[in-house]
Amino acid sequence: MNVSINGQKEVLTQSTLTISELLKLKNVEMPEMVSVEHNGTILERDAFGTTHIQDGDDIEFLYFMGGGAH
Amino acid sequence: MKFESKAIHSGFSQDPKHGATAVPVFQTASYAFSTAQELADVFEGHKFGHVYSRISNPTVSAFESRITELENGLGSVAVASGMAAIATAIYALTASGDEIISSTNLFGGTFHFFEDMARFGVSTRYVDIHSPLKIKQAITDKTKLIFFETIGNPKLDVPNMKAIVEIANEANIPVVVDSTLTSPYLFQAKKWGVHVVVHSATKYIGIGGTTIGGIIVDLGTFKWRNARSEAVRESAQKAGHFGFISQIRQRILTNTGNILAPFNAFLFSLGLETLSLRLDKQCQNALELAQFLGSHSKVSKVTYPGLENNPYHELAKAQFEGQFGALLTFECPTKEACFHCIDHLKMIKNMTSLGDSKTMVIHPDSTIYRTCSPEQKEAAGVNDRLIRVSVGLEHFSDIINDFNQALSA
Ligand SMILES: Cc1ncc(COP(=O)(O)O)c(C=O)c1O
Repeated sequence: MNVSINGQKEVLTQSTLTISELLKLKNVEMPEMVSVEHNGTILERDAFGTTHIQDGDDIEFLYFMGGGAH
Repeated sequence: MKFESKAIHSGFSQDPKHGATAVPVFQTASYAFSTAQELADVFEGHKFGHVYSRISNPTVSAFESRITELENGLGSVAVASGMAAIATAIYALTASGDEIISSTNLFGGTFHFFEDMARFGVSTRYVDIHSPLKIKQAITDKTKLIFFETIGNPKLDVPNMKAIVEIANEANIPVVVDSTLTSPYLFQAKKWGVHVVVHSATKYIGIGGTTIGGIIVDLGTFKWRNARSEAVRESAQKAGHFGFISQIRQRILTNTGNILAPFNAFLFSLGLETLSLRLDKQCQNALELAQFLGSHSKVSKVTYPGLENNPYHELAKAQFEGQFGALLTFECPTKEACFHCIDHLKMIKNMTSLGDSKTMVIHPDSTIYRTCSPEQKEAAGVNDRLIRVSVGLEHFSDIINDFNQALSA
């Protein structure tokens, strides 16, 4: 499926994938510190395992702990 | 992993390059990135990284992660002192026009800070924290948090966590607890439903009274998206569950520059490794001393939750993993008798602070509380016949002998 991750278009070979699985697949650094925006909405942490990614989805990984000044 | 093991192994495992197992001290103000895109990604929040040590630093992060693990929390922010931790939590949750509900008996510094916040339009309603009815009655639509200490200093009373958290949850107000006297070892805040914990790391977390520092922990038990505090609610729109922590880092740390220094974070990470051992021994010494003072003819009263006749004994036992802390107070018949005892102590130090390896005493009435009104003193459990003792790590017989000779001198 085609998705956008942090503004970059990507093709995922998986047909079904949760946010938790995507964090692993993408080897996201410090996963305990990341917030995930899914189609414009920030997900609750306990929804990572149950939120399925669909074709055309827009996903942003956001760090608020590390040090980026927003 | 159990507490003792997490205290040693969490937050930092080993340096990937050299294998160093002690947390390296990253004594650097800023951080270089190889490409412009990388730094842009970190600023944007798309990549993890440290950009400037006023906002975050790897040595400080290691300490924060270790505390987060020990508290089973969501995240922590380490700051320059225990007072900075309290001030930061209050700045995060309040704005002009807001109200704090606080216990009447508080560490003097916290009380003075709350009074100072009135200049910025944030007022405090002091309540009897043991009265659920009074707490409920004090809640208004301006209330933004409920604040109290796990063991009130120096009254040594113990609030009922469950009862207070229940009221707070009903009203959608976060409970902020100062756990300095209990540390993460004696009080597992999350288990009791508390929302935010602050510590003065200066005390039990640090070793031997060498270092000033503090930390704020979000236990992950509050839905910040629905918070009454506007700034936190807005922040939660962007940062989700990190709404509280992220606005502390990105608004308050960034604007006030009150972050903990890397070397101090290193010392605190080291301190955590022996926290359980030290506190076990200090609590035991405190109990021995309380029993000894209780039977001394020159002592008119001893207050220590570990004594079975103390009104908070059962509650403390349940809330603090079967222990009672290492702070106690006793009364002599007069102020003069207190001064006489303090002046004749040989090994035990007369000084402010607590939680040190050294046993120390202070006469709170003439020092920490000297500017408070008689009513404020009474609410805090302070009178001029009271001596506060922070029991240290010495052999208990030396502690007892020193008090014995000073009281008899
Ligand atoms: C219960 C309590 N909270 C907060 C503080 C303030 O901590 P610090 O001295 O690290 O600012 C202290 C002691 O000073 C304290 O005893």
